[in-house]
Amino acid sequence: MEAQKNERRRRKFIAEIRVLHWQPNAGHTVNSQILAEVSQCVESINGVKEGKWKSTLSFYRPVVKEQANAAEFPRDFLGISLPEQPNKYYFVLRGQRLVVEADSNIQTIMEKLQSYKTRVALNFEGFQYQLGDFQLRVGKVVSIQSESLRGIVMEMEYKPISSWEKSHKIMGEFFDIWQEALSKRPLPGHFVHMEPNFGEFGLSGQYTLQHTAVQYATIMLQMIATAQSIRN
Amino acid sequence: MECVVQGIIETQHVEALEILLLGLCGVQKESLRIHELCLKSVPNLGSEASEIRILCDLMQPEPAWTVRHVGGSMRGAGADQISVLVRTMVESKASKNVLRLFYLLGYKLDHELLRVGFAFNFQRGAQITVTVSSYSKMLKLHATESTDDTVPVSPGIQMVEVTAPASAENYAEVAAAVSSFCEYLAPLLHLAKPGVSTGVVPTAAAAAASLMSFSGSTNM
Repeated sequence: MEAQKNERRRRKFIAEIRVLHWQPNAGHTVNSQILAEVSQCVESINGVKEGKWKSTLSFYRPVVKEQANAAEFPRDFLGISLPEQPNKYYFVLRGQRLVVEADSNIQTIMEKLQSYKTRVALNFEGFQYQLGDFQLRVGKVVSIQSESLRGIVMEMEYKPISSWEKSHKIMGEFFDIWQEALSKRPLPGHFVHMEPNFGEFGLSGQYTLQHTAVQYATIMLQMIATAQSIRN
Repeated sequence: MECVVQGIIETQHVEALEILLLGLCGVQKESLRIHELCLKSVPNLGSEASEIRILCDLMQPEPAWTVRHVGGSMRGAGADQISVLVRTMVESKASKNVLRLFYLLGYKLDHELLRVGFAFNFQRGAQITVTVSSYSKMLKLHATESTDDTVPVSPGIQMVEVTAPASAENYAEVAAAVSSFCEYLAPLLHLAKPGVSTGVVPTAAAAAASLMSFSGSTNM
């Protein structure tokens, strides 16, 4: 009975999630070998593989009659679906510091409006691992259209119910341990955690999946910048 | 998708309609206070102009926001034969900053209304919702708090809407369920497809008086 109560309480509470992305060293790109090594590393520190995990992210672009006026509409408009809440959908307008949570059928409304179209859609998919009180999700970033590898992401979650400050500190310590474990492998890059300023998005206090959506929007910016710098 | 019919009733007969609906539905009414904002796309956005409605339910402890898109209605011989309008309608609940999202995406406020009244939700061959409400224009932007800042669109008249969710597979049965329910309301008001002008029915006063006296006698 007590266990059931705890479980109910646990479900209401969304634990803090850190979204990290793989930053290749200068002159290097991501490849599936790195992903395999990272997964092996999780298992080497006793991570127990639990199952698959997948999030999706779409870039919306305005449909304009005259291209010359396209600049008046936002170009960094993202739609995100997260496995923790499959019946919800998140919009992020990064430039305007806006995150909106809606029912997943808002996507149908966007299709019917015909004012914005999804131009690129990315899947973040991989495996989930349990490591004591932590959950790690390691996955590849692939374009739905081409299946080509665009990046590597990792989600780190500290499950026990605790204050944000406490879990933040514990996550920081765990991240250091993880970086140390990974550094034993000669990989051309490292995981980066860029914490957005949630306050700018009007998010504060209790962690929500809107925080996760904002983190995904932030790492996308970084991944695009990295891809562009390699291309140039 | 939804099936919908609309009609109007004089405010003086609304109490009688409420008694009739209470008897027919067997459920308690729910109060309605909704702030409706109609947004339209700016000229250069989209392959064609589009419209979206943002609804804010003011009856909830925390205002609850919904995005509603009403699409085209079903056409053709099949649609003409049924007495209710079948149209696409998608609703999605959203966080409170959804209005800001659509403004930033290039939608502008076309008009806003305050809708006050009541609704009955019940199962009768379909999940039917009857709403009886008056629409008011707002004299100041987003002024939902004070009735001094609102002006009724049609004083003395209330709008009645009967809707039921449907799908491509079951719309004929749902339409039949809605039509058959509307027959019970016929002495008080005439319900027709949106856009079809119905006016008030001549029997309304007598039917209302009868309902009121019946209600009075049962209360004693």
